[in-house]
Amino acid sequence: MDADEVRAKLTGAGAPGILSVDPFPGVAARVRFSPDSAAPLFPIVRDALGFPHLSTVGGIDWVERYEVFYLLWSDTAKTYLLLSADLDAKAPHIETASSTWPSANWHEREAWELVGIGFDHHPDLRHLLMPDGYDFHPLQRAFKLHEPEELEVKVRHV
Amino acid sequence: MSAAQPTVPPATKPMAPAVGPGGQLPVLSPDVSFIEIEALRSQQFLPAAKEALSALVKEQAEGTLIRPLFNWAGRNSLFPLHWGLACCAIEFAAAFGARWDAERFGVVPRSSPRQCDLMIVNGTVTWKVAHKLVTLYEQMPEPKWVIAMGNCATGGGPFRTAYSVVPGVDKLVPVDVYIAGCPPRPEAMLDGILRLEELIRERGA
Repeated sequence: MDADEVRAKLTGAGAPGILSVDPFPGVAARVRFSPDSAAPLFPIVRDALGFPHLSTVGGIDWVERYEVFYLLWSDTAKTYLLLSADLDAKAPHIETASSTWPSANWHEREAWELVGIGFDHHPDLRHLLMPDGYDFHPLQRAFKLHEPEELEVKVRHV
Repeated sequence: MSAAQPTVPPATKPMAPAVGPGGQLPVLSPDVSFIEIEALRSQQFLPAAKEALSALVKEQAEGTLIRPLFNWAGRNSLFPLHWGLACCAIEFAAAFGARWDAERFGVVPRSSPRQCDLMIVNGTVTWKVAHKLVTLYEQMPEPKWVIAMGNCATGGGPFRTAYSVVPGVDKLVPVDVYIAGCPPRPEAMLDGILRLEELIRERGA
């Protein structure tokens, strides 16, 4: 499966909000889509293209914009597919993929707490790697590492 | 004449002499039984035990017996919590294996904090695990001690400025002995335990 085949299948299935379909190293294609059309697009990619397995969800802070990407695997075509969407830098948010791929649940929790991308209608969007009440998103570019002496130590007793 | 023959007792092997000529222990032949070896060992042990007991009697006469007795018993039977946080736990486990055998110092890892009086923090402490560590520490009965094992537990190590790592476990619980190393070898961990025993001997429980 290559980029032309992916583009033909998406067009045939009537997938909304596709911005571009390009070749990308290591995957069948990189599909950039508009975040507004995420909710109808995800089931089409899973069923019409045949990518039932979501490997990972990640987020990148590009300062002027945020990017969220989804890496999918097809058991029949034996290849990966990369979905990516650009998000607003002020308030990055996108519809959750966990209703289409249940494995997105924890990946989106991680992307939310580390990069600060909001996932709408997520069933359980809470901290995964950091303790509850941690108010920072440490993989954002604006986050500054601090010396331990500056750190105000707060331990939550149970 | 049909007089009953006297019953002959079964032949017994005579005990080996406990102390050979010249006050030296005799060279044992291979057929010396285990019980005989233990008897010889107790002959070596008895003088030391008598000395320790007389010291205790002296302390009892001075009215200071109980606390030193507890100190002596406590420092020779430190029970660390059996848990592992990171790669230092591998060295922690190796110290209890056949090669280093930390149990000869009376150190036996226990799986419940209720049975422990020593917490060896062997690895990187993250903020996620911090309050669980404090909970475990509070569940341990007094008197209790803490050893920070390795650079991460001592001061954060290479992750000192990381967003997710506690820069030293002494921010959370009081630490008695710090062991440097990344990770420390099992010898270093045993040395730390022996130094903690010295600390308890000097400072008391």
